[in-house]
Amino acid sequence: MSAEARFAPGDWYAVVGDHVTVLLPGSQRARVPTLWDLADSGADADAVLDALLAGGLSALDHFALVAHGADTTRLLVRGAPTASVSTADGDEIVSATPGTAWREHVVTGACSIRLTLSGDSAVEHALTPGLARVSVVEFSAPTVSAVAPRPAAPAHRSEEHPMLAVVPDPVPDPVPELAPAPAPEPEPEPEPMSFGEPEGDPAPTGEVPVVEDDWDRDGQTMAGRAQPDFERPPIPGQEIAPDVVSQPVASLVFSTGDVVSVDRTVLVGRAPEARRFASHDQPHVVTVSSPHQEISSTHLEIRPGAGADHGSAIATDLGSTNGTVLAQPGLDPEDLTPGIAVSLIPGAVLDLGDGVTIQVTNP
Amino acid sequence: MSNVDLHVDLHHGSSSDVGLVRKVNEDSFLAAPPVFVVADGMGGHSGGDVASRMVVDEFERLAEVYDPARGAELVAAALARAQACIVDYGDAHRALSPGWHAGTTAVVAVLVVDHGTTKWLLANLGDSRIYRITEGRLEQISVDHSVVQELIDAGQITVAEAAVHPERHVITRALGSPEGIEPDFFLLPLASVERLLLCSDGVTGMIDDAEIEEILLAVADPRDAADRLVRAAVAAGGRDNATAVVVDVVGLVKDASYDSQRQLQSLESKLGGRQ
Repeated sequence: MSAEARFAPGDWYAVVGDHVTVLLPGSQRARVPTLWDLADSGADADAVLDALLAGGLSALDHFALVAHGADTTRLLVRGAPTASVSTADGDEIVSATPGTAWREHVVTGACSIRLTLSGDSAVEHALTPGLARVSVVEFSAPTVSAVAPRPAAPAHRSEEHPMLAVVPDPVPDPVPELAPAPAPEPEPEPEPMSFGEPEGDPAPTGEVPVVEDDWDRDGQTMAGRAQPDFERPPIPGQEIAPDVVSQPVASLVFSTGDVVSVDRTVLVGRAPEARRFASHDQPHVVTVSSPHQEISSTHLEIRPGAGADHGSAIATDLGSTNGTVLAQPGLDPEDLTPGIAVSLIPGAVLDLGDGVTIQVTNP
Repeated sequence: MSNVDLHVDLHHGSSSDVGLVRKVNEDSFLAAPPVFVVADGMGGHSGGDVASRMVVDEFERLAEVYDPARGAELVAAALARAQACIVDYGDAHRALSPGWHAGTTAVVAVLVVDHGTTKWLLANLGDSRIYRITEGRLEQISVDHSVVQELIDAGQITVAEAAVHPERHVITRALGSPEGIEPDFFLLPLASVERLLLCSDGVTGMIDDAEIEEILLAVADPRDAADRLVRAAVAAGGRDNATAVVVDVVGLVKDASYDSQRQLQSLESKLGGRQ
């Protein structure tokens, strides 16, 4: 945590990471473990917000999120929490207007923020990374002096650069960074299709037509009960996979140079088709070239395992024409049986044909 | 518009008919390459027709500023805006007549750029359908959000039984639903689609897949094909509004060995068949 924080005890949960603090009402206990996992692993605000909103907004009436950046502080409040923000320019109260999804506020430079969740007690305890039950949380700038933050920032940066320069990594490291997927990275041009950030309540852009009263009901189609979940296109005999997991269970290092995290379904093939996904669980689609047509269009699926396979990646040959060979460390290579999922051990190598292999490593 | 950027030439045709029984055509459609939509409204006059029109209006606005690199985001946002619009409209109506509701299905097809490659992004809510022709065969891509589809998935009824099931018109997801929307998406390589069909259940409820396949294979011009489909549905009884949008990718360099169909059969035979 870049700012010093204090709290007053209460019934809200404070999930405090190094960069991000999330505040949730006591009723949202179920969301806390996932968020703590992310916050503790150093995830950025967007990644935490992603996880927070994964279950939809409707069941999440109140929350607050504070993210401390290098020079800015980002503040989101929904529902009850109110924040009073003090900067060199003055004080401001930040709270969500009723009927809006949330209020977002970005503060540049040093500031102190007092978040009132329930009650208004004095903040007597130091808030350190971890979990706490709170009613009021207060973040103050590291040094209250207005001059101090400026020299502090460059000093911080100059600390990082020499470190990178001193330890150049001569071996191309196949293991990608631990940072969760949504972290903004300097990407080379071809970007994957993306649904973007989840939005709050969208404002209808069209005019709402005037209500007339001469309607008659003559259609055949009618709305039924909403189903909690329709099953994904199932591979027969397998448990339904979790859509997206907060931590990748493995990394896939392709012989083509691609590195893909298994934090959701990964589809590999010559021209893979992704079917029936929701905007929040868009699969990773990896296209590999196959000049001799040994690889099928959608050849192989790798995804986080469920049930007994929880925590590992599982691979399923999707009925490819020429099959997939799996070599697990210490075992003889085997042909994958189409439609049957196999749990992958780190170090395993999958051979799809046409010289394309996938090595499984720890995330 | 963006066809030039995408280096893809799309030919399309569309047709819609109120049918022989209904008084109002509650179906709406849009063909504004590379954005295609069919929506089948429910709730009667000034309900269903307005709801389906709202979806098409949103996508019409989207088509004007469409950016294939942000296709997925734009489609999701347009659906969310249409949803908000229909819910607002429904709320206004319910204030006058409690119990009133308006909703609509939607099937959407747009071209998007994924990893530098042009692909079809398809979206579905409800029981309107998206089919494709690939290697001379018809394949249904979308999976209906309907009670009968759930019963089929659960193995409780067959496809044939579904066609006459009393609840065959009851859908489980729709725009306008107070619970919110959860569209299914599909991402297909451009080369895997020779011809695309978006249609309302007024087509699929009246003529079977074999007849749809026959028409789509026999009629080269997409406008004639759309017309023939809708006329066949009306001729078969026309019990509901029937709408079809047919899209051809022109000059598609055919990937001769495109094998998803073969692969599906292969998977099914290796798994010992599944119904």
